[in-house]
Amino acid sequence: MGGWRRRIAPYGLLGPGAIWLALFFVVPMYFMGEMALRSGSLESGGFAMTWQWSNFADAVTGYETQVLRSFLYAGAATVLALAIAYPLAYAIALRAGRWKLLLLFAVVAPFFTTYLIRTIAWKTILADSSPAVDILQFLQVVPPDGRVLATGGAVVAGLTYNFLPFMILPIYASLERMDVRLIEAAKDLYASSAKAFWRVTLPISAPGVVAGVLLTFIPAVGDYVNALLLGGAGQAMVGNVIQSLYLQQRDYPEAAALSFLMMAAILVVVVVYLRLAGTGAFMGDEDEEARA
Amino acid sequence: MSTPAWGARLRAPLLVIVAALVAALALAACGDDNVGGGADTSTEVAAAGDVEGELTISTWPGYIDVGDSNTVAEFEDETGVKVDYVEDVNDNADFFGKLQPQLQDGRSGGRSIFVVTDWMAKQMYDLGYLQQIDHSTVPTVFENMLPSLRDPAFDPGRDFSVPWQSGMTGLMVNAELAPDVRSVNDLFDPRYKGKVTVLSEMRDTVPLVMKADGVDPNDATKQQWLDAIDKLRGAVESGQIRRITGNDYTQDMANENVVAAIGWSGDTSLIENPDVEWRMPTQGCILWSDNMVIPKGAPNTAAALAWMDFVYQPEVQADIAEYVQYVTPVEGVKQVFVDRGQTKLAENPLIFPTEQFTADCSTQPEPPGSAADRDEVVEAFQDLVRGG
Amino acid sequence: MTAAWRWLRHNALMIYAGLAVAYMLAPIAVIALFSFDQTTRGKLDYDWSGFTLEYWRDAFGEPAVNEALLTSLQLAAVSTVVSTAIGTMMALALVRHRFRGRAVSNLLIVLPMATPEIVIGAALLSMFLIYGIALGFTTLFIAHVMFSISFVVIVVRSRLIGFDRSLEEAAADLGARPLTAFRTITLPLIAPAVVAAALLAFALSIDDFVISNFNSGTTETFPLYIFGVSLRGIPVQVNVLATLLFAAAVAGIAAVLLQQRRGEMIAAVRPEREPALYQEA
Repeated sequence: MGGWRRRIAPYGLLGPGAIWLALFFVVPMYFMGEMALRSGSLESGGFAMTWQWSNFADAVTGYETQVLRSFLYAGAATVLALAIAYPLAYAIALRAGRWKLLLLFAVVAPFFTTYLIRTIAWKTILADSSPAVDILQFLQVVPPDGRVLATGGAVVAGLTYNFLPFMILPIYASLERMDVRLIEAAKDLYASSAKAFWRVTLPISAPGVVAGVLLTFIPAVGDYVNALLLGGAGQAMVGNVIQSLYLQQRDYPEAAALSFLMMAAILVVVVVYLRLAGTGAFMGDEDEEARA
Repeated sequence: MSTPAWGARLRAPLLVIVAALVAALALAACGDDNVGGGADTSTEVAAAGDVEGELTISTWPGYIDVGDSNTVAEFEDETGVKVDYVEDVNDNADFFGKLQPQLQDGRSGGRSIFVVTDWMAKQMYDLGYLQQIDHSTVPTVFENMLPSLRDPAFDPGRDFSVPWQSGMTGLMVNAELAPDVRSVNDLFDPRYKGKVTVLSEMRDTVPLVMKADGVDPNDATKQQWLDAIDKLRGAVESGQIRRITGNDYTQDMANENVVAAIGWSGDTSLIENPDVEWRMPTQGCILWSDNMVIPKGAPNTAAALAWMDFVYQPEVQADIAEYVQYVTPVEGVKQVFVDRGQTKLAENPLIFPTEQFTADCSTQPEPPGSAADRDEVVEAFQDLVRGG
Repeated sequence: MTAAWRWLRHNALMIYAGLAVAYMLAPIAVIALFSFDQTTRGKLDYDWSGFTLEYWRDAFGEPAVNEALLTSLQLAAVSTVVSTAIGTMMALALVRHRFRGRAVSNLLIVLPMATPEIVIGAALLSMFLIYGIALGFTTLFIAHVMFSISFVVIVVRSRLIGFDRSLEEAAADLGARPLTAFRTITLPLIAPAVVAAALLAFALSIDDFVISNFNSGTTETFPLYIFGVSLRGIPVQVNVLATLLFAAAVAGIAAVLLQQRRGEMIAAVRPEREPALYQEA
């Protein structure tokens, strides 16, 4: 192969995708920032560029409740999803045997019915006088005269459900690659299964957990459908605000400022989290590719 | 990551990104500086002409008869016009938000008719997005329109809007589970805590709350609007009000998650629960209309005008009224029901409300004062809806 | 310890797995169930009122549902083709070539996945508004390709890493031109990953609501339609079509899985370490 062709080839291959992402991801992000600095209104002839930095301050002071609520709900949903997903992923990866494919399939299956329809179905399942709520009341999860729908709990439950596959799959992937002989060896060494799990299995699955947490948390913070359909009057999340500012009130600058700040807040959380988790798994592991 | 040459590796794709940004900025600089805003406000009158071709209508779901009577099919048979009847208006603000960028450029998204509520029609008109309607091009409409609808405050003389259906906003009640709810104030009764919803349509909910407290909404001050919003806020924070909803309150009513709500008169026809009924609040209701309007840039306005004239025939309107059960804007429909022997429909006060029935009702008001005052009220209510 | 107790202890994890999967599938069961519900047309009804096949016989009897579904299928088809092609090329470049800017390219690919949908939707809308671009099928297409690319790259790349290049080199030694080598050796080997990536892109596209809601204008996709009618009363046909769509997907995946297994056997090139789907995501 000719030397120059060899050098040009990667850019040719990369080009269309890189340009698409640059034009339709990076550039829009720039324009969102630009929009955040405009001011005006529809009635007064549109939004003009006025370097309105106060939009950012307004976004912070006006919607801090919803921002905090979003991070709280998304955090709770992520913890719940992790608790549900880990044993399931473990079972599928290491115990399922011939059921493996079927279970894995059941995990992916919900993807193939529109997530709106699924959320609406939960609304039917969890209606105030439904058998499901009767059971929850009997188990004292819900107070006797309590309800599930239109509560913060319902929103968290909806988020947990909808993003669960994003938690299960990466954990499964990391466990699946594990050599089972390792556990046996560990059991020989440490004697107790719990200890073996703690010392061997958990560290091996750590990258999967890290990826799963991010893949659950990030979309959950920005979600507004669950709060809209399952939540009540006091459960709106920051996504609901952005949606309403953009599409209903058409206060584009404030909406853009809020989106921008949310993105920044998420990036901070993600970076801190990755630091704490101490792994570069999320950024694409270069070394591994280099070895391949 | 052991990447000593990070800087060097960054360069090429960064160049792509920078180049894209520069190109984008250069392009943006050529464009109009302002985003959003009004269109050309010159007057345009919807042109009549040969009735043929295609007609696209944007309207609310469940707002026309389907099945055997099928007004759309009848119109197609009679005129040869092919109708694309799109039910994509779920919320005035939502719908407007989606179309606004096109309307601003004088385009209508291929639609020739929108069906929107009074205040929305007015807002579109003020922004220069709508065409005027010459009364002589729709003779049947102005022959048969109810006198009470001919001169509304938002469009005196009906220059740009033709009522599709009218309606009343009042109380939707489950008579079995909340028999005593008769006034909007009863929604604040602790017995129904968490079993009550109100509408996210500010111009319905807030005026009803004011009426219940003896304030005339069409004469209310900004402070009275804000006080009513505060009262709602208190009820939301105490958990009295379960949700602030759009159309979907009907689901909660059908499911019996909610026993009483602020609701629209025609919606009983949607809810398959025999206990649910619409009640006139003791202090009166809010009256409104959803109107057909013709946007600027609309293709085939001749067919749009023909459609308006068609649905204003009492025979045709009777089919629609029977199905949707809202207040019909067309005179003579009652007689059609009598002639057809449908006495129950002819006597339905929700389709044919007497003057006595609506004596205490108010037309849908706008918050008073300057644009800034209005914005303050809208902002306060939106804040409540967004759960801040 | 009784035998029953021991059995329970031994199988606790699998019992749990069964329960968890039941939980994940519960809404789908409800959807399928209610597609047989006897409901008066145009009415809201969330109680079981009796079994009927009426709506299955009339599955395509609601024109608005069909139109929205058709729009979604078309959109998913075109955006899948484009994003799969572009994404596969990117994956090839990233795994096969050492070049300046790989780090930034990786970042460019990962960032969209680390951005909440609502921000992507809002950002795109901002740009379209500032340029005065009419919203519709084209803007939806742009958005759908954009958010699918990253997922395609990740899936295909995971297959390419650990891929034995000696076969290609052998082909080259035997005088095959690079394109021929690619077509006869590389493509068949990565085909399962490309198909999986395409499937994922298709699923992402057909299910997307948030980004579409921002950039659809008056074009109505299936999820947008569902959202609209969910505020009013959902035609039972929606449940029927959702069930059908689900069944079709089940059949599709099953076919792909079978194919892949066969492909794997034929290939017999067992990657040493195959980082799975979501490793770096």
